[in-house]
Amino acid sequence: MLSLDIADLTMRFSGLETPVLAIGRLHVPAGGQLAVTGASGSGKSTLVNAITGLERVTGGTVSWGGTDMTRLPTGRRDAFRAAHIGLVMQDFHLFPGLSALENVVLPIRLSRRLEPAERERALQLLDTVGIARPQQAIETLSRGEMQRVAVARALLARPGVIVADEPTASLDGRTGEAVADLLVELAGAEGATLIAVTHDPALTERLDRRIGLAGGRIVEDSAKALAA
Amino acid sequence: MIRFILADLRRFKAGALAVVVLIALSVALSVTVTLQERAVRLGSARAAEKFDLLVGAAGSETQLALSAVFLQPSPLPLMSGGVLAKLSDDPRVDFAAPVGFGDSADGYPVVGTTTTLVSALSPALAEGAFFTRLGEAVVGADVPKRLGAEIKPMHGAADEGGHTHTEIAYTVTGRMAPTGTAWDRAILVPIRAVWQLHGMEEKAGHEDHDHEGDAHEDHDHDHEAHVDANAGLDEHFDAATPGIPAVLVKPKTVADAYRLRQEYRGETTLAVFPAEVLTRLYATLGDARSLLLAIAIGTQVIVIAAILLVTVMHVGARQRQIGALRAFGAPRRSVLAIVWGELFVLFLAGFALGIAVGYAAAEAISASLAATTAVRMPVEFAREDVPLALWFLFLAVLVSLVPAVSALRLSPARALRA
Repeated sequence: MLSLDIADLTMRFSGLETPVLAIGRLHVPAGGQLAVTGASGSGKSTLVNAITGLERVTGGTVSWGGTDMTRLPTGRRDAFRAAHIGLVMQDFHLFPGLSALENVVLPIRLSRRLEPAERERALQLLDTVGIARPQQAIETLSRGEMQRVAVARALLARPGVIVADEPTASLDGRTGEAVADLLVELAGAEGATLIAVTHDPALTERLDRRIGLAGGRIVEDSAKALAA
Repeated sequence: MIRFILADLRRFKAGALAVVVLIALSVALSVTVTLQERAVRLGSARAAEKFDLLVGAAGSETQLALSAVFLQPSPLPLMSGGVLAKLSDDPRVDFAAPVGFGDSADGYPVVGTTTTLVSALSPALAEGAFFTRLGEAVVGADVPKRLGAEIKPMHGAADEGGHTHTEIAYTVTGRMAPTGTAWDRAILVPIRAVWQLHGMEEKAGHEDHDHEGDAHEDHDHDHEAHVDANAGLDEHFDAATPGIPAVLVKPKTVADAYRLRQEYRGETTLAVFPAEVLTRLYATLGDARSLLLAIAIGTQVIVIAAILLVTVMHVGARQRQIGALRAFGAPRRSVLAIVWGELFVLFLAGFALGIAVGYAAAEAISASLAATTAVRMPVEFAREDVPLALWFLFLAVLVSLVPAVSALRLSPARALRA
């Protein structure tokens, strides 16, 4: 379980006058849940990239449980993400030609030997998310099933946080709801902090707190609204 | 990792196959050039082994050597038969055998000589016996004539517009064991039969043969020649012996060989070591090989450049996949290994296939050369090929690193957006 602390975070792209993301302060406690909403171009995806280390930030700090990610060199940042952050993306990013199980264990396999216990856990996770045949080729699954496999993959390394980028956007209503349920349930069960970028109300309303982004800044915060 | 690479290659089957085929073809080209040059060199060196010293009329050394070693048809000038007589009696000479070219039968060269040469080429016959009469012949291993078959010699070759000698039909009495040389295609007949066929013996004044030939007067057409097929062999030569194109000499010692060569290099005669002449030709052949090899290597450079282009584009198209691999926790070294590994696997497959195809091509060329010249050209790899192969592998390792390194240039987020 990891807490998130953002301080003076700015993301600038060369050629652009104003930063695409500017967040003065944001704290998410360990085990907390946060929904990030906003129109396209509001900086949601940039926020995901910044807090997961997929992109180098141009200013400020992003700390996970006290570790400032922005100070880590690329290799260590990749390793930190692999160890502590479970990613779920809108487009799944599963690898065709491999089975559901192979997709779940691929990140570990590509960095080291897979332990039998990890394989066990992968099978168990696939069972939990409702994939009956772990050996089935990934490209023969339905979209809903694919996202379930992606959720299982995100959880395999027992990450302290799950970051989901529009996890239900490419699924139809009912399938999306099922995946939203699964995410919230499993994050709770595994004790992982959950941060979801989404415009899906079905997912938003399941999470404790919601912030709204516009022009790269936080313009809405349900926590502050409650406090006020 | 391997599973992932294989799954990936399966997805890009067509492209992967094209890359493998491209590499295979360019490698095959170099392999064929290298192997074939070696095969021709070894094959002809072995073919020349049995011919220590050749003595012929003054003229082209190369022509003399090629005619005797490869039985290449060419109008060689004749030298006096007295040379043969002199060589036969020389104490430094183990044996001296005349070689009379010019006729052919069904495309196979008919060579007039003596039993000495037959036994030098094939100490034991594969079947049958040596010729004992003027009308008999011993054939090379590759001549498709059975014992007892008749051979009608033709003056020159059929495709040169030669005419058939109707005066004689040789009967096959023996077949030589395979020698792996052009002589496997030769039909060996007594040299005196050749002389008589061409009307040379009479001028030399062998009266006794003329008398015996009376019984066959009805065979004598308007041709000035007259051959008695039943006449026995006479393998003694003297100053009156008719002219011959070449004499094959087996000197007793190496020193004798050099001395004899020195002595018979004069105004009217020429003496050569065929092996030496061939070595000079190989030098030329070697130059041709260098040129071909340079072309082959140039082709490889172009192919590798094309492959680089393809893979860089391919990696561009795969940026998303590479970004995803990194986003989900694959370390950079794994991504590097995957992209590099995929390309290297293709290089290796192309390399292996190219060697196989090149070897097969060289074998096919050798086989077709052997079919027309009977000179066996051994296709084999040599130790000097190893550094060449290692260089290629080293280059393949380097070249396949380029797209791998370029794949890691972008941050995972930018790669995912690609």
